[in-house]
Amino acid sequence: MIPTLFMISVLVFIVIQLPPGDFLTTYMNELKAQGEAVDPSKIAFLRAQYGLDDPLYIQYFHWAWGLLHGNLGFSFEYNLPVTEVVGDRLWLSMVLNFSTILFIYVVSFPIGIYSATRQYSWGDYGITLLGFLGLAMPNFLFALILLYYANVVFGTSIGGLMDPQFINAGWSLPKVVSIIEHLWAPVLVIGTSGTAAMIRRLRANLLDELGKQYVVTARAKGLSPMKVLFKYPLRMSLNPFISDIGNILPQVVSGSVLVSVVMSLPTTGPMLLSALQSQDMYLAGSFLMFLALLTVVGMFVSDLLLAWLDPRIRLQGSISQ
Amino acid sequence: MTDILRIRDLEVEFVTPHMRTKAVDKVSFRIGAQQTVALVGESGSGKTTISQAIMGILPRAAQITGGSIVFADPKKPGTRVDIAMLSANSPEMRAIRGGSISMIFQEPMSSLSPIHTVGDQITEAVRLHQNVEASEARDLAREMLELVGFPNAKSALRTYPFELSGGLRQRAMIAMALVCRPALLVADEPTTALDVTIQAQTLRLIKDLQKSLKMSVLLITHDLGVVANMADHTVVVYNGRVVERGRTDDIFINPGHAYTRSLLQAVPHFDMGPDERLKPLREIKPRTDGLLTLTDKFDRKMARLTDHATYGNGRGEQNNEASASREKGEDGIKSTEETLGSSGDSAADTSGRTHPRWSGGAKGEAVLSVTHLNKSFPVRKSGWFGVDERRIQAVSDVSLTVGRGECVGLVGESGCGKTTLSKLIMRAMAPDSGSILFRGESGQMTELVGLDEERLKPYRKRIQFVFQDPFSSLNPRMTVQDLISEPMLIHGVGTSAYRRKMVLELMEVVGLDPRFLNRYPHSFSGGQRQRIGIARALCLRPDLLILDEPTSALDVSVQAQILNLLKDLQRDLNLTYLFISHNLAVIDYMADRIAVMCAGRIVESAPRSSLFRNPAHPYTRALLNAVPYADLDHPLDFSKIMDGKCSDPSAWPAPFTVDRQSNPPMVQLAEDHFVRMSRADYQEIAV
Repeated sequence: MIPTLFMISVLVFIVIQLPPGDFLTTYMNELKAQGEAVDPSKIAFLRAQYGLDDPLYIQYFHWAWGLLHGNLGFSFEYNLPVTEVVGDRLWLSMVLNFSTILFIYVVSFPIGIYSATRQYSWGDYGITLLGFLGLAMPNFLFALILLYYANVVFGTSIGGLMDPQFINAGWSLPKVVSIIEHLWAPVLVIGTSGTAAMIRRLRANLLDELGKQYVVTARAKGLSPMKVLFKYPLRMSLNPFISDIGNILPQVVSGSVLVSVVMSLPTTGPMLLSALQSQDMYLAGSFLMFLALLTVVGMFVSDLLLAWLDPRIRLQGSISQ
Repeated sequence: MTDILRIRDLEVEFVTPHMRTKAVDKVSFRIGAQQTVALVGESGSGKTTISQAIMGILPRAAQITGGSIVFADPKKPGTRVDIAMLSANSPEMRAIRGGSISMIFQEPMSSLSPIHTVGDQITEAVRLHQNVEASEARDLAREMLELVGFPNAKSALRTYPFELSGGLRQRAMIAMALVCRPALLVADEPTTALDVTIQAQTLRLIKDLQKSLKMSVLLITHDLGVVANMADHTVVVYNGRVVERGRTDDIFINPGHAYTRSLLQAVPHFDMGPDERLKPLREIKPRTDGLLTLTDKFDRKMARLTDHATYGNGRGEQNNEASASREKGEDGIKSTEETLGSSGDSAADTSGRTHPRWSGGAKGEAVLSVTHLNKSFPVRKSGWFGVDERRIQAVSDVSLTVGRGECVGLVGESGCGKTTLSKLIMRAMAPDSGSILFRGESGQMTELVGLDEERLKPYRKRIQFVFQDPFSSLNPRMTVQDLISEPMLIHGVGTSAYRRKMVLELMEVVGLDPRFLNRYPHSFSGGQRQRIGIARALCLRPDLLILDEPTSALDVSVQAQILNLLKDLQRDLNLTYLFISHNLAVIDYMADRIAVMCAGRIVESAPRSSLFRNPAHPYTRALLNAVPYADLDHPLDFSKIMDGKCSDPSAWPAPFTVDRQSNPPMVQLAEDHFVRMSRADYQEIAV
């Protein structure tokens, strides 16, 4: 896990450095384009201060060393330490993504079971149709549609994650309530396609398992159909469900970038976008590392869960053949 | 005697949106208290559907459309329930299912949930049907596991099914079915997936438990040997109908229905005379004249002819020539070979095509000679500290000779290394040590071990393979034409016209209608597919045909058909077979010489008659004792069955023991009779 994270940090750093130039050149170009004079001595001072002229590997070690100590570096664009720039956004992002994943699981689970146990019924067909719609529609489009109708039909704005008066206010109970009130729209938008995909997957897995011989055995014992379903095939079909945690985390996080821009959510997504555009390397690097960390941790958690849940994974390693 | 179950005029239909199929049609029979009734039939006869109807676990598409299944539970005297009238998931039905009637299935691995412990799955059954505490249920489960012969029942409760061997899994399955002490046990092919020695143990176990638990058994099987040894009454089903029912001895001695008779005649048994043939339901008459029996000279002529001529003309002419060459016999073949040698130059200039030469060598000369072959596989075992790598000896010191025109049988249980051996001979993998001599095109014995892929190629087409599973060994997206001609294409044999002609002929050889050439494998039955596989293996006219369990996936009557076909082809085409099987009776029917393999070693090898008359090795004896005969005069002697130790080389008594201290070589007992044992008064012989 640690070597993986190390490799990722190297990759992230290389990717950030790949485009020609750095933040200062972009900054200078911007100033020049606006017809303003650039003070070369100031630029030189900045270059020296941030070590932009150092060899790349030294820059990398500075950055990585900082990362290890919780120092994420300094954002050029905002003239603030990255930690302060990111601030609440990270927490809001995590709240949003966590609720989205929760939403996906809570919604797709019962629907998937329903769909599999009543294969080829009208309900199954209906859900399948809805699911494909959800998969096919880009979620930023869905976000726009939702914004439009919320405004036209209900006369409310569902953009943002909280009412405007709370945006720069400190944490308080009304703020939390406001966030929860606003959360449903982005969660719905971001979660739709994930839910649809999850329903399809669960349905396919469960259908596979339902046809297995051990299900017949369980029925032959005299178990009631519900108990059979929950004890045997459902538990077996959980495996892909759980191994998906690792995949779904980054998917949800990156999927939410566009939606966050469209719905002007104060999450990390839009900031990552602008940081990449302006080559604000420490800010972008921190975000990318955060994403990578999420993925790796997600994978790790899903592996642990799998081993806990499935004795074959836990025990077969030590059994020959 | 009171009946426990009476089935009258049972009808089950499968309903799909497009059609209704009657799977069970007016079936009636009864099961008396503590009786064993066998339900016999081939696949698709509806016997499993009947059992599912009794258990109330019919698939969703199936419906009981008529008749009754009246169950009288001896634990509740005087009550009669018609299972056919109960809804499958009603509480009454669920109380019967698993409580008063329970079931064991064919596949012990897939029938148990892999992610729940054995104890969990058994106690669940207890607590469903008996009002007991969890700890008491666990005690009952442990008791049952002891009863079915688990060595350490207490720890067995905590094991997962995949940690157990096949035999123990089936025992766990039986324990689960019997833990509620049912009045009726439905056993659906309970031993079909097991090795013959394990099968005998399992049958004995079921018989013992039946006596001690005073229950009735409905045994569903296709194996008449099992029926003869287990059943009091037998019901023969065919195509969803009962064609015959009665006491087992009556049916075996005096079968009334033609189908029962043919079923009995289709089973190979050990008392068959050398010329006695099995009688399948439909016999295939192979036509073996034509390209297959031609020698090269005619081949080349044919190839040129068929380039221009239409098939009809070509066939007439070639048939004449073929019969001419057959009349000339051995000499004729030799003389054509001589001319072939002198006209070698002209052969080269006919566009450089080569045709496989049908083996015309002398009968009895060795085609294949394997000596001291070894192959081991690494097994990784990852622990807390690094990886522990051990090697498992899959094939160990195997020596084997196959002569021209001979059928050598290789018999052994699953995992004994017989398939690995066949793969080594095919050079699908390389052996660790030993030699494989093969008589190639030049007529000289050539060492195959160590040859690289390029130099192996000419030998590849001379050894062909027929696989066990006729369903997965044919590519479902290729037509029969493509399938059979593919080996010729790979080896660049003949022109397209020659290939087409060869395929047409092979179709007739294996008794398939040439009109089926453009069909895909899914439209054929298992037996027909296996015949396509045989045709494919024959198209290069190999010197050696390796048949790896070619009939174990087939019904007995189809098996008889395929075995007879193989026998006829061998006689007519002077083929050489290495026939691999776990079925002793099949091997006995097919083979001239038999090699018995266990734990990677050949332990005994002898001509057919002396092996069965005079088995020397304890493993061979155990195998022979475990085979259920489809013959009432030869009941299984359950007292002679060893408890799972017969396939463990270190448990064999001296002088046969194979362990760290002793590794006995093959010694000669009589002419052609070899046994692996250490005896000072015999010396090792090269086989």
